[in-house]
Amino acid sequence: MLTCLCAVLWHLPAVPALNRTGDLGPGPSIQKTYDLTRYLEHQLRSLAGTYLNYLGPPFNEPDFNPPRLGAETLPRATVDLDVWRSLDDRLRLAQNYEAYSHLLCYVRGLDRQAATAELRRGLGHFCTSLQGLLGSIAGVMAALGYPLPQPLPGTEPTWAPGPAHSDFLQKMDDFWLLKELQTWLWRSAKDFNRLKKKMQPSAAAITLRLKAPGF
Amino acid sequence: MDSSYLAQPPPGMGKTRRLASTVQWLLSAALLLYPMNEVNGQKKGTPRDLKCMTSNLQVWDCSWKAPATGQGMSYEVCIDRRSHSCYKSERTSIKIQSLSPGDHEMTIRPLRGSSNSTSKFILSERNVSLIPFTPEISNLSADFATSTLHIQWNDRGSAFLYQAEVIWEIKVLRKESMEVVKLTTYNSSLSGKDVDHHWGWTSDMPLECAVHYVAIRCFIDDPRFSGRKAWSDWSRLKSVSWSPDSPNKVFPQDKVVLVGTDITFCCVTQVKILTAQIGQTSYPLIPLDGRNVAIKIHSISASANSGTNVVFSTYDNIFGTVIFAGYPPDSPQDLLCETYDLKEIICTWSPGRPTALVGPRSTTYTLFESFSGRHVRVKRGDVSSNESYQLFFQMLPNQETYNFTLNAHNPLGRSESAVLVNVTEKVHPHTPASVKVKDINSTAVLLSWHLPGNFAKIKLICQTEIKHNSEQELRNLTVKGVENSNYLMIVNKLNPYTAYTLRVRCSAQTFWKWSAWSSEKRHVTIEAVPSKGPDTWREWSSDGKKIIVYWKPLSVSDANGAILAYDVSYSSEEETRTLPEIPPPQHRAEIWPSHKDCVIDVAARNSAGSSPPSRIAGMQIPNDDLKIEQTVGGGNGILLTWNHDPNMTCDYVVKWCNSTRPEPCLMDWRKVPSNSTETVIRSDQFRPGVRYNFFLYGCKSQGYQLLRSIVGYIEELAPNVAPNFTVEDTSADSILVRWEDIPVEELRGFLKGYLFYFEKGERDTSKMRGLEPGRSDVKIKNITDVSQKTLRIADLQGKTSYHLVLRAYTGGGMGPEKSMFVVTKENSVGLIIAILIPVAVAVIVGVVTSILCYRKREWIKETFYPDIPNPENCKALQFQKSACEGSSALKTLEMNPCTPNTVEVLEAGPTVPKTEDTELASPVAERPESGPGDGDADKQVPVSYCPPLVEEAGPAGQVVYMDVQSGYQPQARPDGGQDGGQDGGPARCTGYKPQLQLPGSRGGAGGYRPQADAGTWTPLAPLAPLAPLSPDSSSDVGSFGSPCSVDSRQFLIPPRNEESPKWSGGGWSFSNFFQNKPND
Repeated sequence: MLTCLCAVLWHLPAVPALNRTGDLGPGPSIQKTYDLTRYLEHQLRSLAGTYLNYLGPPFNEPDFNPPRLGAETLPRATVDLDVWRSLDDRLRLAQNYEAYSHLLCYVRGLDRQAATAELRRGLGHFCTSLQGLLGSIAGVMAALGYPLPQPLPGTEPTWAPGPAHSDFLQKMDDFWLLKELQTWLWRSAKDFNRLKKKMQPSAAAITLRLKAPGF
Repeated sequence: MDSSYLAQPPPGMGKTRRLASTVQWLLSAALLLYPMNEVNGQKKGTPRDLKCMTSNLQVWDCSWKAPATGQGMSYEVCIDRRSHSCYKSERTSIKIQSLSPGDHEMTIRPLRGSSNSTSKFILSERNVSLIPFTPEISNLSADFATSTLHIQWNDRGSAFLYQAEVIWEIKVLRKESMEVVKLTTYNSSLSGKDVDHHWGWTSDMPLECAVHYVAIRCFIDDPRFSGRKAWSDWSRLKSVSWSPDSPNKVFPQDKVVLVGTDITFCCVTQVKILTAQIGQTSYPLIPLDGRNVAIKIHSISASANSGTNVVFSTYDNIFGTVIFAGYPPDSPQDLLCETYDLKEIICTWSPGRPTALVGPRSTTYTLFESFSGRHVRVKRGDVSSNESYQLFFQMLPNQETYNFTLNAHNPLGRSESAVLVNVTEKVHPHTPASVKVKDINSTAVLLSWHLPGNFAKIKLICQTEIKHNSEQELRNLTVKGVENSNYLMIVNKLNPYTAYTLRVRCSAQTFWKWSAWSSEKRHVTIEAVPSKGPDTWREWSSDGKKIIVYWKPLSVSDANGAILAYDVSYSSEEETRTLPEIPPPQHRAEIWPSHKDCVIDVAARNSAGSSPPSRIAGMQIPNDDLKIEQTVGGGNGILLTWNHDPNMTCDYVVKWCNSTRPEPCLMDWRKVPSNSTETVIRSDQFRPGVRYNFFLYGCKSQGYQLLRSIVGYIEELAPNVAPNFTVEDTSADSILVRWEDIPVEELRGFLKGYLFYFEKGERDTSKMRGLEPGRSDVKIKNITDVSQKTLRIADLQGKTSYHLVLRAYTGGGMGPEKSMFVVTKENSVGLIIAILIPVAVAVIVGVVTSILCYRKREWIKETFYPDIPNPENCKALQFQKSACEGSSALKTLEMNPCTPNTVEVLEAGPTVPKTEDTELASPVAERPESGPGDGDADKQVPVSYCPPLVEEAGPAGQVVYMDVQSGYQPQARPDGGQDGGQDGGPARCTGYKPQLQLPGSRGGAGGYRPQADAGTWTPLAPLAPLAPLSPDSSSDVGSFGSPCSVDSRQFLIPPRNEESPKWSGGGWSFSNFFQNKPND
């Protein structure tokens, strides 16, 4: 598996579609957005572990799967496959942009209530990265000529620890926020990968198959 | 009069009374005032059981039981000693004004009955019960956040004219099953007015968990009333419950509790709760009303940062809450208030024990200053609560003393610490900044720095640290404080042209703390004129025409700057000459003076000027009485001493150099004051084992005179090499050895002598390995005369190898050895003598023998060569002759028996008998393992037989003899017993055993034997004789020597005569003979 992967990486520079140096178009920015998505996935994996441990059991237990009680305002990443397929690029990008706009606000709320300085640093770093992803998506939309979605008045999410919101429900919301973030990052990676292939037809024709028994 | 009141316990008797109160209440309700005394006997149908009670001590409410006489019955009630003492009542009760103390007779007479039905009672206050009005709870409220019930009621004090103590008993019931969870009393006083009372109760279980009921009753304790006092009835129950519409299902929500508290959580839900867990621990469910459940935790432990999660799980949902268990704030530790700049006070403290509460529940600190009434507040939600806190408090213009109180509070409690400070005594200045150094002169600088702060009212002490190399000096300066200004300090008594590192710190004159040291500032002072001239010496060249002037570089402390050049001049009486300036790396100059008695001046010059010149006389005063001495130093230096010489008016100079260097040599010199008589010369250049020449010069007015010349070592070492030696001459008994001197460089010390070892020994022998002086066979010669260069070793043996070893030694030890092997020459005279003496002895013996033989020749002849007699004179032969001739009875010699020497071997088969020539076969060659089955005809061994008695068998008759151990097996023992066991022969005779049984043999014991049964036979040694001495075996021996078939082992020729001892004996001896000499 490793040998095969190394061989593929070795020959990657030889693939002409990946070495185009002329008019780059939106391809590089899509690639960068895709890379940023993957980086955020990695960053979230580390951050979620720390944050769930901060929330304490049962939130940090691997099989913990609470109902989505108060997290209804979070943008849902899960979507029916047919619906997802029926979306065009503009809609996909717009949904991504809107979702991360909302999620960013919620993550900033996490930053505000985290008690440890280390956790606050990690959340601050993640917020910065998420802000960068939002900018990247906006850049891709601009490159493709799509307008940015305008937020509806009064729907701007704000993080407010209201009196009706107990600490436990807040923890549930935090849990779902991290879960939705993860799902959105997966979905975004898939979206940008699809978009990347679409923008690079010649590269899309190249199929690299890695046989890896057991995977 | 029957007075059977139920004994009522006094209020406040404790729990026992409380437990029984409910029962009492029921009983007291049933008991009424009994009639006190019936004057007349009661008849059936008359009023009876008079009971009186009061609720306010003013009106007595009396009632009685009347016979069932139908509707419309009225009574007349009369009380004596009272005007208008009769009352009419339509019912069986009447309210009357309270009676005065004492007994009163009360008559109750039914108005429509006979006079016989009149009842009389003795009534007094003692028989009246005081039962207060039943109280009412005017308001019951619940604070669910704190799980507290608030109860409010009115005491109706206006109805009770007297001052009296009231005891209120309140009970709290929980759940629909009304379990009493709290029963308590509340004391108050009746003041004649209606007063509202409040009572609060905090539940151990959240009020949301179950419905709670509250009831209240009272007890009036009026000491003036002598009758029975009883509790009022319980008020109507009031309840409080939680609205199930709340999104929160688990209670308490987000509560902060003290660590170690017992706490109950409940879940209010319509679905079935399956499990409840706190953290990772599951707890048993306590059922409440409906599907509500609770769990109880004993002594909760401190929570994590985000609190402790309490989770109730249903089949498809979870409900939860977060509890924060922590501690109240500890008293702030080490509260310290000081000021850096007299503008602002900074108070620091450490929080003490962590509260385990963070974020919004963390401790808030408020610093309150009582004189000014101002305060500042800090709240830090971070977890790292072990770090010290600090708060800044702006100083007030005219206030020096501050009384600070630091309050700490969190949801669980509060604490405080206080400190009273005079800030002018708690000045801890900031670190001085902008440190600058400015030159004043070569020994003083001006140091300046900036110190922020308003120090105008105090004095400061500033300390300067002056470091030069490893030396450190601290100088203090007291200055008047100013506001935000620079401070100056003159640092003097420095050395010119010296690098100093300066730094400064300050404190208030009323010392509290030093500030931190400022950054270091490195500064080099400016140059000054060299303080003295260089140390100078001069050497005359060997031809006496040139003087070489040497001088040493000035030390840093003397140079006072970078030396730019040296000025050298020399002068005599006639003239003065100056050499061109000499730059520093060069420290010598050559001059050609015209006169011997010149004077040389050397001065060093730097940018500040020239040093005073060093003057040295060039004149060299001869000294004829000079001899070379030797000395050895003490390892690190050499001590030189001399006698005081008053002629030496100036100083002494000791000069030294390495003796191996060519002249003129000069390593260094040292000047010693003229009043000294000794000096120790030390130098880093001195090395052990190196020879140095030391010269002591005395200084007179006109010049220097060499006083002593010394050769010495700082430390002696053993020689580095062995002396080279050769053998000059060798004789038969002596060796002459010659050696060479060791070079001075290799000698490494003053030579003390040589050690010469010698011993017998050759190269490559074990003795060569070493010549230890302790060995007895090693001879040693110690040559202490170092001028001796030869040695003759005498008394040696001729033609012998000697091992010679030579080594030199100094005061530092023995040098390495050099060895040589020498063989002495042969001694020829001795050899000749050794040959000649035996020859001479032999000749003499021969001559003497010859003479003796000659002189005794007759005796010898008689003894060794007697005359031989003539046979013809023998009479015996004469007799024989006659016998042969005359007697016919005489027979010729019969040669009987005569046995042929060739035997025809008869085989037991159809094979043709054949005659074989004898062929010698060793019995050993016969393989013992060849069994009977191997009896191949081709492999049959031809056997020849030699008669035992025929000694003339000769070489032609080769006999094959079978080894008795391997081949022979006696078959025909006359006694027939124990043949095999005794013989031992069958142990190796594996062939066929003969079955022939000779006559006379007993039984079958001597017959066929199993051939493999070797174990029953005892094998004998291979060469052991076959029982020759046994009498029993004599018959067997009779056949010994007879040839036998290889296969059958049967004697082919049986003994002719078994009884013949001669034959028998011959056979035995024959066999023995062959055994020993098989080839014979």
